[in-house]
Amino acid sequence: MISDAILFWILAFLSLSAGLTVVMIANPIYSALALVMTMVSVAGLFVTLGAYFLAGVQLIVYAGAVMVLFVMVLMLFDLKNEVYAFTQGLLTNVVKLGCLGLLAGLLAGTLVLSSYQSQEIQDKVVAAADQTKALGQLLFTQYLFGFEVLGILLLIVAIGAVALSRSRGGTHHV
Amino acid sequence: MYNLNWFSQIGLQHYLLLSSALFICGMAGVLLRKNAIVILMSIELMLNAVNISFVAFSHYQSKLEGQIMVFFVMTIAAAEAAVGLAIMVSIFKRFREVNIRFFERLKG
Amino acid sequence: MGKDVFEVTINCIKLIVVFLMMVQAVPILVWLERRGSAFIQNRFGPNRVGPLGLVQLLADAVKFLFKEEFFPENGTKFLYYAAPVVALVPATLAYCAIPLGHPLQYGEYLFRLQGFDVNVGIVYVLGVSGLAAYAILLAGFGSGNKYSLLGALRASAQIISYELALGLSIVGIILLYGTFNLNEMVAMQQGPLSFSFRGHEILVSWLPNWGIFYQPLGFVLFFASIFAESNRLPFDLAEGEAELVAGFHVEYGGFKMLLFFIGEYGHMMVGSGLLATFYMGGYGIPYITNQALWQTFMDWTQDGQLAHILVSAATFAMFSFKLALCLWFFVQVRWTLPRFRYDQLMDLGWKTMLPWALFNVIATALFIFVAHG
Repeated sequence: MISDAILFWILAFLSLSAGLTVVMIANPIYSALALVMTMVSVAGLFVTLGAYFLAGVQLIVYAGAVMVLFVMVLMLFDLKNEVYAFTQGLLTNVVKLGCLGLLAGLLAGTLVLSSYQSQEIQDKVVAAADQTKALGQLLFTQYLFGFEVLGILLLIVAIGAVALSRSRGGTHHV
Repeated sequence: MYNLNWFSQIGLQHYLLLSSALFICGMAGVLLRKNAIVILMSIELMLNAVNISFVAFSHYQSKLEGQIMVFFVMTIAAAEAAVGLAIMVSIFKRFREVNIRFFERLKG
Repeated sequence: MGKDVFEVTINCIKLIVVFLMMVQAVPILVWLERRGSAFIQNRFGPNRVGPLGLVQLLADAVKFLFKEEFFPENGTKFLYYAAPVVALVPATLAYCAIPLGHPLQYGEYLFRLQGFDVNVGIVYVLGVSGLAAYAILLAGFGSGNKYSLLGALRASAQIISYELALGLSIVGIILLYGTFNLNEMVAMQQGPLSFSFRGHEILVSWLPNWGIFYQPLGFVLFFASIFAESNRLPFDLAEGEAELVAGFHVEYGGFKMLLFFIGEYGHMMVGSGLLATFYMGGYGIPYITNQALWQTFMDWTQDGQLAHILVSAATFAMFSFKLALCLWFFVQVRWTLPRFRYDQLMDLGWKTMLPWALFNVIATALFIFVAHG
């Protein structure tokens, strides 16, 4: 049990610090790399929650494909450190304070709640191998419609991305 | 701290707290950054944060529906990234600019 | 991790041993590659320095260790130094999930001959080895060199493209065995070829029960994809020296270069290990089930514990043999085939291999549907 807790705290620290880096660091390439770190530690969190298949998919889809695209595009653009990476002005300060307030409120709320509300939701663990099977059955029976719609969405997106990134015959002429 | 159990007994609250903290990070990124690609990445961060809470609920309530939702979210996130990046590449090719403030002036 | 201190200790030692085994296999591979190339191209050095050309290895090691340590002028320091380390990690993590031999039954304990047993083995290996693209991108960008960046972009685009064909060719195998677990896959490939077709038991006693006979098309696609994934000839567009000097590692020398090499050989080993596990029966000895093997050793030694150890040793030797065979083939291909052109490579990946992989998935699913009646 204690090893689970240690694993959780390490992963939570990693994902939070990487997530903060994404937002705080001025160089967009470092922020993309920090986001990769976040994705990998989120995959680790999925493992602590027993969702092994999802953790693998998270690694393949996010870390292996989506973020590689981001990093590639950023490297192609070759942006230098931006001097004004952040927005400025009164509204921005209000937003900053608002985010901080939300975070503080959440922390305080959780601490107060956890003091008199202990573990009422029981931890029912499903065997992981059966879980993947059950997941597949659920996806291809009950949620088949959503699955098909997503397939069509992906097709549209693929065609749209090709149309957008073509240098000639796309939405504009260079 | 008043209660050491809070650190050694990991429950649903911990995951939800982490998820909401990550979500706030992403939200701050969307609201505060100027680089359009960083804004896209912050959206991915927010979607990831939501995924954590989906999986946590699914685990602690022994219902697999949460994990199905994560599949859907992941697919849509990948699609969104593909289209967003394609738009960014075509904008960058034309204007050599990724600053979101720059696009405010685009008309018609 | 384990029930008591003994099991935990053994499991920890096992992790280190598997890691070291992968790293230590690299000199042997370098030797194999140098000798293979020397035989094919009639080179002098690697065949004549010392017995069997073994001293050449020593010379290589000394050269790598004593080269000047330098940093390119326009580079980014953090990315430049991080890239070689990142190159090593994915291959190592993926290799730890491949079963190397029959699980060893020792008293009440069961030790698996692999770094760790992941129940979604295939998904894990695919996910982790997909991270290899970052090492290349970091190296290319961190060097601050046009050729590096071009090589890195090419290589990562290639890795992403071929990951699709790789993943889809594995789907056929997953459908066939109905599991993600590599150990269970190996267990299903024991004995002679036999399957049931609409209620009839079909037995072909002169063929082993290997995946390659069920999935010949998948085998070819998978084999071609792992060449592309590990950036080896004929798909080593990343380092086409005629166009790009040396691709993403132009600016690397000495030990950092060696780390990239270890990463590349590690990817070859992961690819070969997966090939052996999916299509060639893994650690299983052809025609004989592991139970029968244990019985044979039992009759011979009259000692159950010793027989268990012998079974594990024999299966480990078998796996090493299969791995070596695949790696030898890698080397032969490298020095035989010329390099593809970049557009040919992309055409092959997207217009040829992807449709065939999809066809393979559909054909396998239809066959399984028909065979089950």
